[in-house]
Parts: sequence; C-alpha cells; structure tokens
Amino acid sequence: MTAARELAYMSIEELAGNIQRKDVSPVEVTQAMLDRVEQLEPQLHAFNAVFRDEVMEAARAAEAEIQRGAYRGPLHGVPIGIKDIYECGPTTCGSQSLEHYVAEKDCTSVAKLKEAGALVLGKTATYEFAYGFPTKQSYYQPTHNPWNLAHDAGGSSSGTAASTAAGMAYAGMGSCTGGSIRWPAQCCGIVGLKATYGRVSRAGVYPLSWSLDHTGPLARTVTDAALMLQGCAGHDPLDPASANMPVPDFTQKLGQDITGMRIGLLRSIYEDNCDPKLLGPYNEAVKQFESLGAEIVDVPSITLSQLQAIEWPGLFAECAAIHVDNVRNCGEQYNPHAKLFVAYGLLVSGAQYLMGAQVRAQVRDDLLNALDTDADVLMLPTAGFQVNRIAEESPGLSIVSADFSVYTPIFNFTGLPALQVPCGFDTDGLPVGLQIAGKPFDEQTICQVGYAYEQATEWHKQHPAL
Amino acid sequence: MDTKALIAAKLAEWDLELTDAELDRLLVPYDNLLRWQRVVEDMRQSHQLVEGMSMPESEPMLIHALDKKGGTS
Repeated sequence: MTAARELAYMSIEELAGNIQRKDVSPVEVTQAMLDRVEQLEPQLHAFNAVFRDEVMEAARAAEAEIQRGAYRGPLHGVPIGIKDIYECGPTTCGSQSLEHYVAEKDCTSVAKLKEAGALVLGKTATYEFAYGFPTKQSYYQPTHNPWNLAHDAGGSSSGTAASTAAGMAYAGMGSCTGGSIRWPAQCCGIVGLKATYGRVSRAGVYPLSWSLDHTGPLARTVTDAALMLQGCAGHDPLDPASANMPVPDFTQKLGQDITGMRIGLLRSIYEDNCDPKLLGPYNEAVKQFESLGAEIVDVPSITLSQLQAIEWPGLFAECAAIHVDNVRNCGEQYNPHAKLFVAYGLLVSGAQYLMGAQVRAQVRDDLLNALDTDADVLMLPTAGFQVNRIAEESPGLSIVSADFSVYTPIFNFTGLPALQVPCGFDTDGLPVGLQIAGKPFDEQTICQVGYAYEQATEWHKQHPAL
Repeated sequence: MDTKALIAAKLAEWDLELTDAELDRLLVPYDNLLRWQRVVEDMRQSHQLVEGMSMPESEPMLIHALDKKGGTS
C-alpha cells in the first residue's frame, strides 16, 4: 500500500493519535483528502460541493491550535463529509429546486462536529430530498459504488457512504428514515450507526418524515462510528423530538467480551425472502458470533410484508405533507419518481396513517419486551437484495413493491438504535452487511457487539481498488 | 369509478394533476396501499381490543415512551 493510500484509509482512531502526537498535521491530511477527491470524484460523483478553500483554512487553524497544545479530541483535524440535506453552506438536498440555496448557519449536529474539531470537506451527494434516487437522466448525477462503478452506492446517504469507503473522507454524516444510513453503508462495505430516535439532533436537516427521521454517522470502523456519534449526540431544544438523555462514552464497552451475550435473530423478517447471495455471508457471520461465545436465540417478530405495511404509508404521508406545495409549484424540477412519491403519500388516508402509528407502537413494545427477557441485542441482515445497477431512467415506485427487501425500517419506526457492520461480499464482489439493534439509548452495547465481530474478521480492512 | 379515475380524483382534491402515464405508475402501488391496510388491520386485531383503544402514539409521544422504558446508559 502506498503512503498516500495508507493515509487515506487510516482509521480516525489511528489518525487522531498521529495528529495529537504531531506526527501528521491536519493540513497534510486535508490536502491528501482533497487530492483524492480530485482524483476520484469524476468516477464516483460523491460530492455535490467541495469546500477547498474553507476546509484548508480550517485545517490551518486546527494545526495552529494543536501546535499550541489546545487539542480538542479524536475528531480534531479530521476531514469528514456532510450529507447535502444538512444546513451547512450550499445545501441542495440533491434537488434542482434548491440548486442555489445557501444556509445562513450550520445546523446543530454540524456545529457540534466542528466544535469537536472536525473539518468539513464538503457536501456529499444524496438521493433527492433523501428519497428520490437519481438516474442517468437526473439533474444531479447518481453516486457510483466504489466496489463496482456500474452499481448505485445505495442511499439516500450515497455520497457519504461512497466517499468514506473510497478513502475520500474519514467518515461522514448521513440521515435515515427507512435505512438511509445502514443500507448505503452495506452497499459500500462500511459501518453505519443509526442511534436511538432523539439521540442526535435533526434541527436544520431537511425532513423527510419527522416521526421516522434520524441523523447519524457512517465510518469505516465501529470505533470511528462511535467517535463520530460522540461528536454529534446530545439534547437540542431546536429539535422537538430530541431526547434529554445523558450522553455516555460510546467507546466505553469496545473490546469487552461478548461471551454469554444473547443475540436474538429476527428470522421472520428475512428468512423466506433474502437473496441467498447475501444470506450466505450473513449466516457465516451468525456462526462467527457463536464462536465468539454469544448465544444465538430466535425472537418472534413481524414479517417483511408487515414491516412494509407499517413503514411506507407513514413515511410517504409525512413526505407528502412536507413536499406537496413544492411539487405543485415546481414539480418539474423533481425527479419524476420523487414527484410520484409525494402523490402517493397524498393517497394515504388519515385512518391508515393512524392505524399504522398504533401498530408501530405494538411492534416497538414487543421488541422492548424481547430485549428485556429473551435477548441482549437483535440481529438480522441489512438488506435482502444486491444494490441495483445505476438506473437509466425513472423506475417509478419500485421502492414500495413487495420484493423490495430492505430490513432497516423496523428500527426507524421503533426508534431502536441499530448498527450496520460489513460481513463479507456476495458472489459478484459487492459488500454484504448485518445490523445489530439494542435497547433505546444503549448504543454502547450494539457498538460492543459490532466491534467484537469486526475485530474477529477482516472485512473492515478491505477497500475498493480505486 | 375505476382505480385510475379514483386516484386522479383524490389527487385533484390536493390540486395535483398528473399525466396519464404518471397515473399508470401509481396503480400497482395503490393496490399495495390497500393490501397494507388489511395487513395493519390484522395486526391490530391480533391484540386485545383494550390495547387497540389506547391513544395512537406518534412523535413526540414515542420518544417519551422510549425515555420511560428505555435504556441502560
């Protein structure tokens, strides 16, 4: 591995040590990232905007602070990407309709990360408004998967996932309404951490569905994801759903033994519909957990059809409430299917929406009971199908078809924290992942479990050949 | 009224007019919506009536419930 590549793929944990010891400077690191962005961006389309001048200025300021002994912590001097629905400079939300919008100030989570010393390289590409995935016909070009450029990077946090996987940033922020942190993290072979609903502020982040929206980090290792969460978590009165809960040290349990820990598999969601190409590596991972001393148990749960019945009507109804006015006024500037999603949400009746809310509370209570009595954490694959090739033209509402087997929404509508970690590759060489979920506000334990698996395997050490 | 006309009429209530081709792309998803309605109703009926009489929870009630029931941290 060349020195430049080694620096690009260094973990935040290792980089932070080097920066603190002054073995490497934030300016050197940032320039290396900008060089890599310049080299790879034409192939990947991972950024909507790169803040070359601003990030170098911030890097110089970080270097000066560190030189005079004012080291802030593990994110100090670390370049990261921010999904382009977070208010931070130019913020397009991946939509032509916001092409010229510039935020007046940083949203809460970005301000927190900057306060922790992180350097914002730029705004990473997103599906339009975090749901309308781009095609080759779109105004903003789709992000390509660094493992296979013909494929989509997953979404909606596609640019953050691709840039982190390709060593163009050390980590980044995504948002997640039905899986938009964990799914692109799987597609790009990295870690995605959707914390508990209310753990990370959403103030200043363009909403998609306010009862399901979460914000959180994507990174290349569990430790790095925990460090990023540390930098952005905490109560924010500007977000009405923000939880006023203590913020623990999310790295505290990393390295602790998982012997005897009960891992509950939610088989009813995935067993009859997961593509064997993805189920194979996942089942190997289950065996790996057993070899680490964990006890595998079954937790009765809902089916994929029930998951979809709860998630999609609620998501699209809330999405329609947010976007209907824009679609009426400038719908021609939306991707064709993004406009259709809004129309679809308008077809959801009030009774359908509210019944879904009742049932989602039932499912949440069932999972909480299981976590009290049967299992310490829950586990299932992240998705049951391989990410598609980049679409030539609008696919319509394929996301709401019965065979769209993404298993992530269950932890959006229950609010439980969930971590995606890579667990291998399918037969076509695309990454496969699994998710570990836990009790509300217990991100420490899911990180402990994910870390134990990560350290027992080599998946996080593999990177795209770019 | 056929399904396509029904969808067009519902959207007209929101002053939203779609092309014929766009309406065609909503037909199968609309059937899914009706199927999911039955799925959700079945899930509700699998619980006792008294549970179904509780107030529907949504944000911020969901998060308050998580605060009460949740975490170890």
